Amino acid sequence: MKGARWIYAAFVVSMLASVGLVTFYFIGESAQVEGVLLGLALGGMGLGVVGWATTLMDVPTETEEREPLGPGAEDPAASEPPLAPEEVTRRKMLVRVAGAAAAAMGAALAIPALSLGPRPGDRLDKTKWTAGARLVDSLGNPQRPADIPLNGVKTVFPAGFEGEADSQTVVIKVDPEVLELPEERAGWAPEGCVAYSKICTHAGCPVGLYRAEARELLCPCHQSTFDVTRGCEPVFGPAARALPQLPMEIDDTGFLVATGDFPEPVGPSYWNMDVSGDEAGCSSGSRSDSASNTGPARDCERSFPITGRSCSARSRCFASSCCLRPAPI
Amino acid sequence: MSGLALALYFSGESVAQDGYTLEGSRIATMGQAEEDEVDGARLFANSCSSCHGIDGEGTDNGPSLENSGEASAHFQLTTGRMPLANNDQAVRKEPAFDDEQIDALVEHVGTLGEGPGIPEVDLEGADLSAGQASFIENCAACHGAIGAGGAVGNEALAPSLSAATPTQIAESIIVGPGQMPRFEFTDEQRNDIVNFVVYLRDEPRPGGADIGGIGPVPEGFVAWLVGMGALLAVALLIGSHRRKPAITGAHEEGDAA
Amino acid sequence: MLLATGTYLTLFYRPDAAPVIYDGPYEPLRGQEMSAAYESVLRISYEVKAGLVMRQIHHWAALVFVASIVAHMVRVFFTGAFRKPREINWMVGVTLLVLAIGMGFTGYSLPDDLLSGTGLRIAYSALISIPFIGPYLGFLVFGGEFPTEGIISRLFVLHVMLLPAIVIGLIGLHLGILWRQKHTQFAGKGRSESNVVGKAFWPQQLFKSTGLMLLTGAVLALLGGLVQINAVWNYGPFDPSAVSAPSQPDWYVGWLEGAIRLWPPFEPTIFGITIPSMFIPGVVIPGIGFTVMALWPFAEQRFTKDRAMHHMLDRPRDRPVRTAIGMAGILYVTILTVAGGNDVLALTFKVPIEAMVWFLRIGLFVVPLLGGIVTYRLCREMQSSGAHPLRRRRGVRLRRKPDGGFEEVSPDEARSGV
Repeated sequence: MKGARWIYAAFVVSMLASVGLVTFYFIGESAQVEGVLLGLALGGMGLGVVGWATTLMDVPTETEEREPLGPGAEDPAASEPPLAPEEVTRRKMLVRVAGAAAAAMGAALAIPALSLGPRPGDRLDKTKWTAGARLVDSLGNPQRPADIPLNGVKTVFPAGFEGEADSQTVVIKVDPEVLELPEERAGWAPEGCVAYSKICTHAGCPVGLYRAEARELLCPCHQSTFDVTRGCEPVFGPAARALPQLPMEIDDTGFLVATGDFPEPVGPSYWNMDVSGDEAGCSSGSRSDSASNTGPARDCERSFPITGRSCSARSRCFASSCCLRPAPI
Repeated sequence: MSGLALALYFSGESVAQDGYTLEGSRIATMGQAEEDEVDGARLFANSCSSCHGIDGEGTDNGPSLENSGEASAHFQLTTGRMPLANNDQAVRKEPAFDDEQIDALVEHVGTLGEGPGIPEVDLEGADLSAGQASFIENCAACHGAIGAGGAVGNEALAPSLSAATPTQIAESIIVGPGQMPRFEFTDEQRNDIVNFVVYLRDEPRPGGADIGGIGPVPEGFVAWLVGMGALLAVALLIGSHRRKPAITGAHEEGDAA
Repeated sequence: MLLATGTYLTLFYRPDAAPVIYDGPYEPLRGQEMSAAYESVLRISYEVKAGLVMRQIHHWAALVFVASIVAHMVRVFFTGAFRKPREINWMVGVTLLVLAIGMGFTGYSLPDDLLSGTGLRIAYSALISIPFIGPYLGFLVFGGEFPTEGIISRLFVLHVMLLPAIVIGLIGLHLGILWRQKHTQFAGKGRSESNVVGKAFWPQQLFKSTGLMLLTGAVLALLGGLVQINAVWNYGPFDPSAVSAPSQPDWYVGWLEGAIRLWPPFEPTIFGITIPSMFIPGVVIPGIGFTVMALWPFAEQRFTKDRAMHHMLDRPRDRPVRTAIGMAGILYVTILTVAGGNDVLALTFKVPIEAMVWFLRIGLFVVPLLGGIVTYRLCREMQSSGAHPLRRRRGVRLRRKPDGGFEEVSPDEARSGV
């Protein structure tokens, strides 16, 4: 059978490749050899089967009539006797009650799904940074300003919490002359060292790229860019909120320490986050661990009619804040 | 101008890559043809001062080189980044000066302040694993997990690390050239990182062809072009209408049911 | 191929995020702390015989699997095979696409490496961004604040048990409906709305299908052995404070990545509720997109007022509006996918990222619009001329007149062979 020789050949190649695979398993290891042999084994078989089906099988083309589909095609109802009126109403009631019971049971069976995770509480609002926490690198070494080279960048954590995801922070040393921080935060950057949360406010990736000449932090995930000299305001990309700045000072022994937690939630925004940015302004509770404040609610620049909340926007971000902090959920 | 033309003609050096002539070095070379030693200060004055100032104090065209140190000069000159070809980012190209001239310039720039010296790189006994960990933590965000480089925004490109010598890698870590920030490491930590970068070049690829090594983007291309392309060919093969071969002899055998 | 290689991998993979110290042959990671899951993938790649080729075949197969679904869906769309009585089957198909993407995402997140972990972080942020229920949902799915130890084993259950069960069930439904309704066919000799013309299922079609399966397997085996994919040892174990660039998801999530990258920094607060900037591109747009896709047959019925049964396929040119809209949709998704790799493009073509982003933002609207219009015109053209525009002869045909000189042959005469 002349035209069919290749089909036989295909099967034989497949057979040889399979034997080769078995042999090779014992004598060596290489993904390339394994892949090629497997490819030949499967491919030879495939070609053989396809060739058999298309070339050798002498099957005529058939025509088959379609069965009618859709309504009217089968009419089972026609064979049943019609129901009496009382039966119809009772059936309707039964269906409704059974349906309600099924829905309720569905809810009951689904409710244990809530055990899958804890309620957020205030976990999204706070990090492990507290007043007095020393800045340490990933190996736990406390940092002095001299440990960070000029135009250098370093990832730090609060002492005791190395590697803690929500507390990851970048420290950058710049020439103090170029800093243009808002005045209430100017004291947060001793000797030109500024610290910001490393978690991007867009989708949460670590903002790991620092362009030293431009003094901009770039997030590699979606290219949000933040201006280090102006409080990490976003200057490009989809992030709309500045990276929260860590309040910092130099302690008596010369090490860099935080003077409190970040003033805003770190990481991506969420629907009820509080970005008032100042602990002293809101009347119900504060964000840092300092003693609860007793000051009056500040004058607010914006108010929302529906909820009656009054808010002030502290930074140039689009999300404004609420002075009256929502009750913990 | 004729003097310059003569200089070009007699200098015997070829015009540098990318078509720029490096007039400074030609003139300098010509002027020093008679001297034995290369005068770093003079070379600097001829080649670098127009942008960096006669004392390296900086001008509108170039930053100050005070305290930039030998490491910085050595890096910029041996990678050919300086002299700058155009106003874009400084990129690696053929060095404009030979070794002697570079040494002289480096020495001269070193006298302009208190900058870092050329680091000693010793890869003997370096810890590959520690280097990998440091690399991922500090370098991968810009240069990529395998050092293939990346776009870092604002027209800046973090280059591929495959061409740099160990000394150049160490220098760039210390100096932070261009948009690259500076990093402070112990000598041991730095040697670990350099060792890892060198390792990356010859790292075995047990899975096969590399296709760039930068992850899902080339993989997606290959899946569509090669994978779906091959499957298209398979579909065409199966669907093609083939004439059946003539069967000689008894034709019941081989017939389908 | 996915099932076979996947089963093999399941026998060696450990879905456990508990930390271990690596002590295997891959030197750059020796002595480092990593999750047991990541360590097991290293072991599969470097210590289990045939482990690496199985892993690579599995990953290539996943990429090609979703590509095949998309190609099939595009064919069904452009030939109108989703029309009555096949609307349900179309919706099953769209569901299968979504599930396949979900399977891919859960699958490539299992190794717990730096790249896929970054993707998980983004998924968590997308969940958190939903108003009212966001933070709850994020904490519920992940079992706490990111990163959690429990997410790996949950992804494993999804990827190995729950999602495959649903997918296999739906594929069964998909094929069952096809069997009952019989397949569609192009118009041709002897074919009508009320019959099906072709070769019998047994043995011809079955053999051909088996052959297709084997040859597909061959292509995937060759890819899996010859082209390296997802070399997780290079990325290193996941570390929430580290990241590598470029960072992209697998291609079938690339459109989502692109949408998130191109969206402007728009984060309004409405009635005290912040709408995070990744909510609309990350949650709303995909939701709308897949809903439109799923409900397309009904939308088309409403617009064309055609509720008859159709067993015959359209030539795309005969439905210029649908074809144009479909083309626009494809171009839209393609540009989003390309945008997902904009930093790689910026690096390759030495273009600033910022320019690339703006170029793509504008292109996202211009290209589908233009493409749709061009497609519509092409369809009309092909309908009237009856030939493929690219194969159509250019210029005029001339004929020598008896008295010398030339005259033009009209297209009708040319066609009739005069």
